[in-house]
Amino acid sequence: MSIGAGPQSQGSRRLSRLVNIGIPYVWLGVFFLLPFVIVLQISVAEPALAQPPYTALWEWIDDGLLQIQINLRNFMLIGEDDIYLAAFLNSLWVALVCTLLCLLLGYPMAYAIATAPERWRVLLLMLIVLPFWTSFLIRVYAWIGILNSGGLLNTFLLWLGVIDQPMQILHTQTAVYIGILYSYLPFMILPLYANLTRLDPTLLEAAEDLGCRPMRAFVEITLPLSKPGIIAGSMLVFIPVVGEFVIPDLLGGPDSLMVGKLLWTEFFSNQDWPLASALAILLLGLLVVPFVLMQRMQQTMDETQP
Amino acid sequence: MAVSNERRLLEPWQDPKAPPYLRIDRVTKTFGDLYAVDDVSLNIFKGEFFSLLGSSGCGKSTLLRLLAGFEYPTSGRIYIDGVDVTDVPPYARPVNMMFQSYALFPHMTVEQNVEFGLKQDRVAKKERQERVGEMLDLLKIMELRKRRPDQLSGGQRQRVALARSLARHPKLLLLDEPLGALDKRLRESTQFELVNLQERLGITFVTVTHDQEEAMTMSTRIAVMDAGQIMQVDTPTAIYEFPNCRLTAEFIGSVNLFEGKVMEREGDQVLIEARHGGILRMRSLHPHPLGTPVTVAIRPEKMRLSDGPAEDGVNRLSGVVEDIAYLGDVSIYRIRANGGQLVEMTLTNIQPRTEQALTWEQDVSVEWSPTSGVVLTE
Repeated sequence: MSIGAGPQSQGSRRLSRLVNIGIPYVWLGVFFLLPFVIVLQISVAEPALAQPPYTALWEWIDDGLLQIQINLRNFMLIGEDDIYLAAFLNSLWVALVCTLLCLLLGYPMAYAIATAPERWRVLLLMLIVLPFWTSFLIRVYAWIGILNSGGLLNTFLLWLGVIDQPMQILHTQTAVYIGILYSYLPFMILPLYANLTRLDPTLLEAAEDLGCRPMRAFVEITLPLSKPGIIAGSMLVFIPVVGEFVIPDLLGGPDSLMVGKLLWTEFFSNQDWPLASALAILLLGLLVVPFVLMQRMQQTMDETQP
Repeated sequence: MAVSNERRLLEPWQDPKAPPYLRIDRVTKTFGDLYAVDDVSLNIFKGEFFSLLGSSGCGKSTLLRLLAGFEYPTSGRIYIDGVDVTDVPPYARPVNMMFQSYALFPHMTVEQNVEFGLKQDRVAKKERQERVGEMLDLLKIMELRKRRPDQLSGGQRQRVALARSLARHPKLLLLDEPLGALDKRLRESTQFELVNLQERLGITFVTVTHDQEEAMTMSTRIAVMDAGQIMQVDTPTAIYEFPNCRLTAEFIGSVNLFEGKVMEREGDQVLIEARHGGILRMRSLHPHPLGTPVTVAIRPEKMRLSDGPAEDGVNRLSGVVEDIAYLGDVSIYRIRANGGQLVEMTLTNIQPRTEQALTWEQDVSVEWSPTSGVVLTE
């Protein structure tokens, strides 16, 4: 190492650091911030019969003055019409129920895989990931074949003699729950599995050694230590389910009103881009604010606990 | 007579009528074809500091796990204080373990860790706090009580682990490589502390270690294990001075081994013709038939070194200095005997190294007396 090479290598190191940090920022800027700003801009515009179908945010008027129009009509409209509030509440409710169901179903599965013998684990994980090899849309379509009145499930139940006439499952809220549960379960299982495999088994032995029965050891040791996995899995399920559109559209009926579906209708059927954008902004705010608050809380909790 | 009585009190294993506190009766544990623990019987007495010593894979850890209840024996029984605990699950045994990795609960403070066992036993809150306080005081970690394990140093964690395992006042404390994760300096001071603690509390300790020095310093008795079996059980002194087989002799400290055949018996001594030449006269009470192959084991510090060439004779070998290792307090000399065998011996450096006359390639002779070593039959 010659002394002369010092400053130069330091400079190039600074450059490479800049590039390393820069790339993700540029990525986030181009693909997240910019679209968000565009949507925000559309949400304060007015619908118009034009291409694109909304008014511009700013305009140059004759004497070189810049006119900026901010229109809050869309947000007010959403506040006035109960259907939007109902859709929001219903989406949150469905997301909450599905997250809890995914957790109830996914936790034992993740636990079973994490504690299975090493040679089984890869196979079991494979079975969880395997559905991803088929298109999401096709898999949801397949459920129509299973759930409709002449479908697999009804035929099977009729054959068993449990029911004497086909049940109406398709195009009900139940079908939506089934579809969401099926589609999002892997997103709960995978982070939980990742967390549970890292759990040191000697901790459980230590708990047992100190007089703790296995069931109680699970509650006192495994469960609290898997909290990060539970939070990660729940977020991965909750957030996309609130905005879910495909599943309620294909499997749901008239009563399964969700924000995602409403948004789609405003965009494509009603051609009201500003209203749809306003819905999207509200949805985002609804999801981001609680999570930011939660993270804050977690941080202050970590700080106060020495 | 008084002396022998006192000795009996201090060494209950000398008394055939003393009831063992922990009795391991013909315990075998197999994993598939592997005999991890192979027909082990052991009596450990109340208040002992007992060490299971052996290299990795010798079965010592499995034996400890059998005592804790994490494994169940394939055959054999285990009794603690007269009660058969063979089929008792770990949470119901009057036994606690200090894990090699300490296994502290990362989501609990030091205090909560120590309290955990007492909570499981449904000890009332007031008493629980008192006992936790006692333990934290005893191990001098009171000021750490609100910290979490990831905010502690290795030595501090070890203390917390010890406090946690002692808090329930177990009948038996199992320690898996208790000092293994500490650095050398800390290990030495902790050794003495552990012994003091054990004597103060009167709890029977069973520890697993691969470190012979550690076992020698701390234990009342040591069991040397190999391939799932116990080779020898005895006090540290007896194990060092009178090993009963080559394996024990070689495992503890260094040793010179001379193979040979028994030629003659004279009273309590035997004459042995060494394979590499020379005749050894050793004390042995074992009735070796003439002609049996034996091995004589002599510790390196029990030999005398003389300057200059000499005739080979009874208990005397001549050779040249091949290697010298200066360790500060002692020096290790490797001497190539004329018969071709390498003899290792240690000398205390009474004089500064620079004043010592012995150097490489020098003619020397090595001597020892009949009581300097033992005659091993296997």
